[in-house]
Amino acid sequence: METGNIKTAWGMPIWVLRLVLLSLLCLLWEWATVRQPSLRVFVGQPSGIAVFFWDGLFVNGKLIQHGFWSILATLISFGLGSVAGILTGMMFAMSPRLEVFFQPILIALNSLPRIALAPLFLLWFGLGMGSKIALAFSLTFFIVLDSTVAGMRSVNPDHVTLARTIGASPGTIFRKITLVSALPTIFTGLRLGMIYALLGVIGSEIIASTQGLGQYLSFLAGVFNTDGVFAVLLLLAILGSAIGYLMTRIEARLLRWK
Amino acid sequence: MSSLGHTFSGGVTALTDFSLDIAPGEFVSIVGPSGCGKTTVLNLVAGLLDVQSGDVKVGTTSPKAGRHDVAYMMARDCLYPWLNSQQNAEFGNMIRKSDKADSTKRVLELLERVGLKGFEKAYPKELSHGMRQRVALARTFAMASPVLLMDEPFGALDAQTKLVLAELLDQLWEQEHRTVLFITHDLAEAIALSDRVIVMSQRPGRIIANIPIELERPRSVRALQKDPHFHEIYANVWSLLEQALEDKPTEVA
Repeated sequence: METGNIKTAWGMPIWVLRLVLLSLLCLLWEWATVRQPSLRVFVGQPSGIAVFFWDGLFVNGKLIQHGFWSILATLISFGLGSVAGILTGMMFAMSPRLEVFFQPILIALNSLPRIALAPLFLLWFGLGMGSKIALAFSLTFFIVLDSTVAGMRSVNPDHVTLARTIGASPGTIFRKITLVSALPTIFTGLRLGMIYALLGVIGSEIIASTQGLGQYLSFLAGVFNTDGVFAVLLLLAILGSAIGYLMTRIEARLLRWK
Repeated sequence: MSSLGHTFSGGVTALTDFSLDIAPGEFVSIVGPSGCGKTTVLNLVAGLLDVQSGDVKVGTTSPKAGRHDVAYMMARDCLYPWLNSQQNAEFGNMIRKSDKADSTKRVLELLERVGLKGFEKAYPKELSHGMRQRVALARTFAMASPVLLMDEPFGALDAQTKLVLAELLDQLWEQEHRTVLFITHDLAEAIALSDRVIVMSQRPGRIIANIPIELERPRSVRALQKDPHFHEIYANVWSLLEQALEDKPTEVA
């Protein structure tokens, strides 16, 4: 996974090469929009995007402000969704009967395109935080639930047998073996769940909201501020990568034995 | 154990009329063709299977999984990947709530004896198969159980590693003389380690031979490989085992 230190044929670190390629593309993009100004409506202009990005972060603070609400909503829905998902998963692992009972209902709910629930959530929770948290929660919850159940099922039966012969109680076996065995799989679910929480929040904001990056994005697109749209997309890409990086780091720390 | 029988739910009869007494401090091996029910015997003694017919007593009481006077070891090392060697070796004592300081001291000694000094903090993924099974051996001996049940503990290892570990087991055992019931399909291993070798027939498993091994102790499993007396015993027991494979019942004292 560690690709940052790979040297290229000319002895340059790989990130230098990436930067060069990206700069070349931006230059080409800039040059095309200078030559053909009508293109700007469709693809924006790198210099304009950069200015919008800078102003949004450090001058008028609009990106920061909208970003704050989106991130807050993402974190809250991720937190609620993953705690609920893990707890439900643990319950299912402890009582397979409960799982058999709920499974068809959950499968039906989970196969529903979640965006289709957005109008209902808006009706129930209003234009503020509530509706986007509800939508993002409905995505995160199922992902984390699935991975928790799968992780707990993947426990090595020998590990359980050995613990039984040693004299561990079912509770101890659950805490010290089943749960720990499930951690890597749960983490994969958490990483995915975080990304889906962001997706749910942004999606909900695009449909209808009073603040947040999704709302800002759809407003900017509505007034043909393409530079602005790209600046928001850039911020989202950076946020998404940062979240992914953070989760990977936490995972690497917690699961050193993997 | 007396007149033990066991039929699995699929209708496979694994054992019929199996009776065996093991004295405290005795090292007894059960050998037999694959599928003869030797692991079933062990699991009945371990309390992992319920006794269907006949009677099993460990000491004076019925078997039960989790008894503190019994330690169980399997063919697969069964180390917990999230624990390092030392934590794995201490796992049994940790669950049994033995004194932490005593256990740590004992485990560190054992890890050194099985040749893992310097690997106390290594995770299983960093160890070879042989090394992992050494940790498992340390974990088994770390527990103060007077009865050890071993289900082909070296069955998954290559021939050389197997010899080295058998030698280690022998040394550990010679020191404490715990009661061992050892399951294996390796006759040489059984003879080299045991006081008595039980030969089982094909399914449904019965005892077809019960052979005391009169090799002097302390032994060296590796030195025995070159000992003519050892090979003589081996040849004798092998001929019995061959009969087992052909499934001709014979009476042997």
